[in-house]
Amino acid sequence: MSFTHLHVSTAFSAHFGVSWPDHLAQTAAADGATALACTDRDGLYGTVKHLKACMDAGIDPIVGVDLAVFDDDGDLRTQVAGRVVVLAHGNNNGAGYRALCRLISDAHARTSGKAGGVVPVAVTRSELASRTLDPKTLKPVLTILLGPDSDVGRAMGGRKYLRPRTLFKQWVDAMPPGTIVAETVSHLSAPGEPLSTAHAVRMLKLALEYNVPAVLTNAVRYCAQDGAATADVLDSARTLKSLPELSAAPMLQPTGLLQPTGLLQPTGQGWLKNAHQMLQLAKEIMNAAGQGKADLHKLLANTEALADKCRIDPVLDMGWKKPVVPEASIIGIDRDPMVELTQRCEAGISRRFPGINGKAEKHLRSRLEHELGIIARLGFASYFLTVAEVSRMILDMGVRVAARGSGASSLVNYLIDISQVDPIRHDLIFERFLSGRRSTLPDIDIDVESAERHNVYRKIFERFGAERVTLMSMQNGYRARGAVRDAGMALGMDDGEIGEIAKQLWRFSARKFREALVEKPELRDFAGRVEQGRLEENQQLDLLVDLTERLDRLPRHISMHPCGVILGDATLLDRTPVQPSGLGLPMSQFDKHDMDPMGMLKLDVLGVRMQSAMAFAVREVIRLHPSKAEVVAAGKHPVEPGGTGPDFIAADGRIDLNAVPFDDEPTFELIRSTHTLGCFQIESPGQRELIGKMAPREFNDLIIDISLFRPGPMKSDMVRPFLEHRHGFAPEKYPHPDLKPVLQETHGVTVFHEQILKTFHVMTGCGLDRADEFRRALGNEIQEPGVEEYFRREAIKNYSPEVVDKVWGTLKAFGSFGFCKAHGAAFAVPTYQSAWLKTHHPEAFLAGLWEHDPGMYPKRLLVAEARRLGIPILPLDINRSQAEYRVEKIHEGPDQGKLGIRLSLTGIYGLSGAELKRIVAGQPYDSLADLRARSRVSKPNIKRLAQLGAFDALHKDSGGRANRADLVQHLQALQSSPSKKAADVMEGQLSFALGDVELRNLAPELPEPSMVDNVRAELDLMAVDVSEHLMDSHRPLLDKLGVTTANRLLGLRNGTEVLVAGVRIATQTPPMRGGRRVVFISIDDGTGCVDSVFFHEAQEESGPLLFGTRLLLIRGTTRRTGPKGISLSASKAWDLSQPETLPFAELLPAGGGPPDNYTHQGPLHGISRNLAITGLGS
Amino acid sequence: MGLFSESVEVICADTGQPQAVQWKGEQYAVSNEPVRWYERRQWWLEESRAPLGSGAGLVDHEIWRVQLQRPQDEALAGRTITLDLVRHVGSGRWRLLRIHDAAPERAVEPDEAA
Repeated sequence: MSFTHLHVSTAFSAHFGVSWPDHLAQTAAADGATALACTDRDGLYGTVKHLKACMDAGIDPIVGVDLAVFDDDGDLRTQVAGRVVVLAHGNNNGAGYRALCRLISDAHARTSGKAGGVVPVAVTRSELASRTLDPKTLKPVLTILLGPDSDVGRAMGGRKYLRPRTLFKQWVDAMPPGTIVAETVSHLSAPGEPLSTAHAVRMLKLALEYNVPAVLTNAVRYCAQDGAATADVLDSARTLKSLPELSAAPMLQPTGLLQPTGLLQPTGQGWLKNAHQMLQLAKEIMNAAGQGKADLHKLLANTEALADKCRIDPVLDMGWKKPVVPEASIIGIDRDPMVELTQRCEAGISRRFPGINGKAEKHLRSRLEHELGIIARLGFASYFLTVAEVSRMILDMGVRVAARGSGASSLVNYLIDISQVDPIRHDLIFERFLSGRRSTLPDIDIDVESAERHNVYRKIFERFGAERVTLMSMQNGYRARGAVRDAGMALGMDDGEIGEIAKQLWRFSARKFREALVEKPELRDFAGRVEQGRLEENQQLDLLVDLTERLDRLPRHISMHPCGVILGDATLLDRTPVQPSGLGLPMSQFDKHDMDPMGMLKLDVLGVRMQSAMAFAVREVIRLHPSKAEVVAAGKHPVEPGGTGPDFIAADGRIDLNAVPFDDEPTFELIRSTHTLGCFQIESPGQRELIGKMAPREFNDLIIDISLFRPGPMKSDMVRPFLEHRHGFAPEKYPHPDLKPVLQETHGVTVFHEQILKTFHVMTGCGLDRADEFRRALGNEIQEPGVEEYFRREAIKNYSPEVVDKVWGTLKAFGSFGFCKAHGAAFAVPTYQSAWLKTHHPEAFLAGLWEHDPGMYPKRLLVAEARRLGIPILPLDINRSQAEYRVEKIHEGPDQGKLGIRLSLTGIYGLSGAELKRIVAGQPYDSLADLRARSRVSKPNIKRLAQLGAFDALHKDSGGRANRADLVQHLQALQSSPSKKAADVMEGQLSFALGDVELRNLAPELPEPSMVDNVRAELDLMAVDVSEHLMDSHRPLLDKLGVTTANRLLGLRNGTEVLVAGVRIATQTPPMRGGRRVVFISIDDGTGCVDSVFFHEAQEESGPLLFGTRLLLIRGTTRRTGPKGISLSASKAWDLSQPETLPFAELLPAGGGPPDNYTHQGPLHGISRNLAITGLGS
Repeated sequence: MGLFSESVEVICADTGQPQAVQWKGEQYAVSNEPVRWYERRQWWLEESRAPLGSGAGLVDHEIWRVQLQRPQDEALAGRTITLDLVRHVGSGRWRLLRIHDAAPERAVEPDEAA
C-alpha cells in the first residue's frame, strides 16, 4: 500500500515549514509514494521547486496552498476564522492551476505589501466558492480541505459539539457540491487538545453525518522527527514570543476557540510519516471512532482518489519550460516578428556602421545571418522585439540605459539598440549568449539610473498592461546574524546579550557556527562563554549555537527582487500568483530560479546608482556652464586649432557621455594614479591595488582588469602571471601556436569565457555552441568527466599529448570561473565614463556621488576625497542649501573663483521630507521667525540646523555678537518652553524687514563650540565630517606615536615597519586560495586610504578588534604593489578610541611619554551611527 | 493524582504496547487496552544540546496510560491502579509520570450536555 500526503508545508512556508522540497520528494518516493503535495502557506512559494523535485524523484506533483479564510460573521477585513488547504485538480489543461493562482492573488489583493500591514492574507468564503468552479465548464477544479485549523476544527475546543456542526453545515451550504472534503489529522496529542485523535474522530463523524468525503493527512511541517525542534523555533520567530512564553500561554483562548496558530505545536508528530505509519494512524482513529474495516478502507481510498484527481501534469497544466512572450500585437507588430526583426537589423547597419563595405561588410553580414538564423530556429524574434521595445521606451523617457551581461555579445542587440557595445570590435561570441542548443530564454540585463528605476517599472506596466507584467520576487533566507537573533529570542535571552553576539558574526554560514567558534579569533570570547556555561550547567549558549545552525538558510520572507521584471502575454496572471510589493506594484511569488521552469520572460532592469550619479553630474555641468565654450574651458577638454572643442559637447553645454571617445589620456592618468575612489568598479582596495600593478593604458585594459578582479582569478593566482607577461618580466607562453590568436590579448593567460569557447573549438572543431555547453559543464562533478573524455579524444587527433594535457588542465582550472568578456566590456563603459568625469569635472562628479551614494564606501569618505582634491566643502546654510548637493562658484574669500560643493539639506537626522520641501519652497528667509512661520520646521529640527551651522550666515548678517553655542542653548530653552501660537501675519500685512531681532539680541555667554564639538554634531546628524576630517583632532597623539600618514606611505621602501591610524572605511574577507581567511581592512586618515591586510597571525593578535572597532591604530610593514601602489601587511591592531588601553611603553619612542591630553575623546565618541559612518552594521 | 518521575521497567508487545510493568519491586499485568498519546517537553530547559540530526524525542515524549493489576490481587477483581508512563522516544527508557487515585478518566471526553 502507498499513501499520498496531501497537506505538506515546505521550507518555503516562511517561519513555518522546515524541510526543502527535494528532501520531501525524495523521502516520499523512497517510501513508495507515487505523488506528493506541496501546500505552502499563503502562496506557491515552493511550488516550482516542488515540481522539479517530484520530477527528479519520479513521482507526480500535487499543488495547493494553505490559506486563511475570513470570518463571514466578523469584520471582513481583519477577522480570520481559520485556515483551509486548497488543492488544484490536474490534467485539465491548467484549469485547476489557473484557479489556484487567481485565488491566491485574491488572498493578497487587500494587503499592503508592507511589513506590519493590518490586513491579513486571506480569502472570503465567497471568493473561495467562486474560484472552485472553472468559469468555462462550471466543473469543480479545486478541492477545499477542512481540517483541524479550519473554523470547524478550531471550534472543537472544550466540549462543544453544536458549534462545529453549525460551522461545517455553513461550508456545505456555501460551497458548490463536490468541492469540499473533511481533513482528519491526528498528531497524537493528549485527549482534548488540538490535533488529538479525539478531534480527528469528531471531524470524521461530521463528514459522515453530512456525507462529505473524509481524507487523512498528517499536516506535515518537517520531513522527519528531527525537524520538530526547528518548527518550535520558527513558531517563536513568527509570533515574536520566546519558547518559555509560548509554552506558558493557555491553550484555550477566552472565547473557548482553539487557536493552534500562534501557539506551539502540541506534539512533534507533524512529519512525513511513511505509508505504514499512516495506516496505523488511520487504524487508531477508526478504533477510537468505533468504525470498522470498511470505513478505514474508505478513508484511505478517499485520500488516494483525491490525490489522483490532483496529479499535475507539469507540461500540460503548468506550461513547464514553455517560453511565453508578449503577443506581437502588443508591441505594434502585425506581421511575422522574424521579418520585422530582420528589417530592423538592416536599418541598424546603416546607423551603427555607416559606410561599411568590402570584407568588413561581408564579415558583418555573415555574423548577422548566423545570429538571425539561430533566433529564427528558436522562435525568439518576439522576445528580442519586446526587449528592444523596453529599451526604446526607457531612452524616450530620457533615462540613461545600458545593457550589461552576455547580451552585449549579440550583434542583433547592438543593431536594434538594446546594447551599446559593438561585439565585432571587442570580439564577443554570440554563442556565449544564445545558441541553437539552448531552449531557455536568454538573459538580457538593462541598467538604468537607480533614481529612475521605479518610474521605469511603472512605465513598463503602463506600456504592456498590468495583466502582462509583474515584478519578480526573491527569497530572503536566514543568515548568521538573523539566525542568532531569532534563536536567542526563542530561548528568551536578553536582547542586548544577543545583539553583542550577533555583532561578532561576520559572513559565514549559520550552519557552520560551531565550526566557526573554534576557528575565528573574533568569536574567541564567545566560545569561552559557551565553554564556561557548559561547566556551570547553563546550557543556553550551547543551545543557541545549535538552534542558529538549524535556522540556516530557511526562507524568512519574499521581497521585490532588485531588478527582475516578468513580461508575459495576457495569461500571465493565470500562471503566477501575485501579491503587492512594498512599491505597490504587484510582485510574482516566483523567484529567479522559477523563471526558466515556468517559461517566464524575465528582464533585469537594474537601478545603477552610478548611472544616476553620472546623469546628475552632467546636469550640474550644464547648469554651471551653460555653453559649449564654458564646458570646454571648465573641463580642460581638447580643442583642435581653430575648433570649438569635441563633438560630444553640444552647443548648450550638454555632454553626451556615450559619445566620449575611449582614448582620453588624462582619464587613464587618473586611473593609473589609483586615486579612483568613486569610480565604477575600480574603487575597492583590491581594485586600486590591481590597477596600480596593471597601469591600464587603453579601454581593453579596463575590460581585462574588471574581468581579472573576480574571486576565481584572484584565488587561483592568474593575476600574477598575467602581469609578469604584460610588463615583459617573463616571456609570453602559448600551449600551441594555434591558440595564439585566442590568447594573445591576455598575454597567454586564459581570462575570458570566450577564450575557453574558442580553445575548445580550435582544438576539437566542436563548434562554438557545443563549446559553450562544455564550458557550462566544467566544474560539474557529473558532467565534467564526459567533457574531458570528448576533449582528449578529439584533440589528440591534431595535438601532442603534452599539449592536450596542458590545455585540459587550464580549461578544468579556469573554466568554471573565468569571466564573460561581454560582461567585462559592458562594465568597462561606465568605469571609463566615471573616471572621465572625475578627471574633467570633479566637483560635479563628486556632488553626483554624494547625492546618489553609488559606491561601496560610506559617504564621508567621498567627502574626504573632495577635501583631498582641494575642493571646498561649503557648509549647510538655510538659504543656500537645497534638497540636493549643488556645485557653487565661490565669489569671495581665499577660495574665490573655485568651484565648491554645497551641502544638501537631505540626510539630516530627524528632518522630515515634508519639512525639507517647505524649507526649500520658502527660501530665502530673513530671520528665524520667518523660517518658523513659513516652513513650520519643528523645534528640535531648528536646533539641529543650528548645531550644523545652518544659521551662521543669517546670524552674522543680523549683527549679533553671540556664537553658535549661544544660539543652540537659546533654541534648547525654547524647545522646553510651552509652544505658543506663532503670531499670525495677516494677509496683506507685510512684516517690516527688520532683520533678525532674535539673533541680534542674543546675549553672548558661552564659549564658541570647539571644532571637535562641531564635527561631532555633523557626524551625529549627517554621518559626515564636514568642518574638518574626524582624525584631525587625534593628530597630537598620533604625531607623538610617530604615526605615518597615507600620503607618505608611497615614499617608503618596501618592508618598512610603520604605525598607521584612521577610521575604518571597508572590511572584506574574500575567499582565498588554501581556505585560510584573510581580512582586509581599509582606513582613512584624511590624507588618503591605507589598505591593510591581516593574515592569520595578525588576526589572532587582534581578536575582537578585527570587526567591531571604528578607529584603528595598526602596526604593520609596507608592501609595495606597483609603481603607484603600496599597502600594509598588519601585525597588530589597537582601538584608538580607547587611548588609555594603548601599550604606550611598547609604542612610544624611548623616553617619551604620552601627550598630556592623550585620553582625548575624538568627534566619534558617543556616536552610534556606525553603518553610515564606517560601513559597519550595528 | 500525583506527579512523579521514577524509573520503571516495562515489557512491551511487538506493537510497542505495554503488557507488564515492574514497579516498586513488583510485577503488574496491564489489564486494559492502554491509551497512548504524546506530550510536548520544555526541551529548551531540559536539554543542553539540540543539534540538527538529534532525531526523535526532543520535542515530545510518548505517554501511555495503563491500568495495572497485581497477579495475586485477582481475587479483588476490578481493583486496579491507573498510571501514566512516559517513554523517552530517543532512549526508549520508561519513567512513571503520574499515579491516578480514582477510577481512570475516559480517554475521549464525554459529550457536552445537550
